[in-house]
Amino acid sequence: MLLVIGNKNYSSWSLRPWLAMKVFGIAFDEVRIPLYQPGSKERILGYSKAGKVPILRDGDTVVWDSLAILEYLAERHPRLWPADRVERAQARAVSAEMHSGFAKLREHMSMNTRKRYPGKGRTLESLADVARIDEIWSRAKGPFLFGAFCAADAMYAPVVLRFRTYEVEPRNKKYMQAVLDLPAMREWIEAAEREPESIPGQDLYG
Amino acid sequence: MQIVIGNKNYSSWSMRPWVLAKEAGIPFEEVQLKFNEADGGLTVDGIGRFNVAGKVPVLVLDGEPVWDSLAICETLAERFPEKQLWPADRSARQVARSICAEMHSGFTGMRTTMPMNIRSQYPGKGMTGETRRDIDRVLEIWTTCREKFGKGGAMLFGRFSVADAYFAPVVMRFRAYAVELPPVCRAYSEAVQALRSVREWMDGARKETEFVPTDEPYASRNR
Repeated sequence: MLLVIGNKNYSSWSLRPWLAMKVFGIAFDEVRIPLYQPGSKERILGYSKAGKVPILRDGDTVVWDSLAILEYLAERHPRLWPADRVERAQARAVSAEMHSGFAKLREHMSMNTRKRYPGKGRTLESLADVARIDEIWSRAKGPFLFGAFCAADAMYAPVVLRFRTYEVEPRNKKYMQAVLDLPAMREWIEAAEREPESIPGQDLYG
Repeated sequence: MQIVIGNKNYSSWSMRPWVLAKEAGIPFEEVQLKFNEADGGLTVDGIGRFNVAGKVPVLVLDGEPVWDSLAICETLAERFPEKQLWPADRSARQVARSICAEMHSGFTGMRTTMPMNIRSQYPGKGMTGETRRDIDRVLEIWTTCREKFGKGGAMLFGRFSVADAYFAPVVMRFRAYAVELPPVCRAYSEAVQALRSVREWMDGARKETEFVPTDEPYASRNR
């Protein structure tokens, strides 16, 4: 299997399937395409007409979009979702909520793994998003949202990095720490810090 | 089992699981809430008792709320495997999942300038550059699916699936804003509008009289 991702420093969507695959020990080759460079778009379009990362290629099957990739992997690796069906439905709900929502958080507190922007990006609307996420995290059933690590945690992992960058303190600090302590998460962060590329438009606060 | 929806005229997110369950013959009780006219439609009256995300649609299953249209569709597909809500073929199923996810998180240009409004007609309105790009991508998706997977029927993957429920609100938008469609896409759009579930939803929408300002960029309240 081949996973096509963007910059580890910036691409929150890429982190989700990458982290899930690493945590669950699903082997894959990684292709990293630094975004917003000459030829980036063409390279991505070579993998998927949707023109966005992440993209998973498994033989002849091409799956795009972070959530669709997680569902695809879950068909083969059911542990990606909680075993209990009520919990599984809840995990899908919070994952989908993350997938289509929190637009203001994304806009004002974009993921920027290696930067520190304490206090930045706080608007009325981004703080409302933060409050909702805080509420979801505070109902965590164990170290992770549904006890053991699942796809929902992969969906929220980029938010953990945002909170780290913007120094947002959630009520459930243990959850944030549990995600940051995952060896795969540390691997991602270290790689992001080593990346030479920067995207000025994404470095929102200098 | 209950499906909690918003206004049929405006709520594209509500339309998806409702059409999915209706068309597949999954029995459910419809609970309709209305967008709050006083705050411009930003909140949903009465949603507080169902879940904490504050949005429609909601599926109430085993007494527990499941929110978000995509999570509801996945959950229904899992609970009713005999209905084959996703395409049976593995490769087709992944394309179906990908395009639904793409729809779920994207197309903000089209969503913003061409909000769903079933009872109204605004030909030519809302066609910005970004919306044009979104529309072109939708047309590309429809054409590819119809050509590659559509042999067994008139839907994106032949027979009706989650993907058609997911794109039904887009069919409504193209109709309201009179977006010109190439023949393959026009035929698909007509097939969706001919679905019994879609006709029923549209009939319900036409009977509604509420005016939700945030969804009405091209009309004033006193039409």
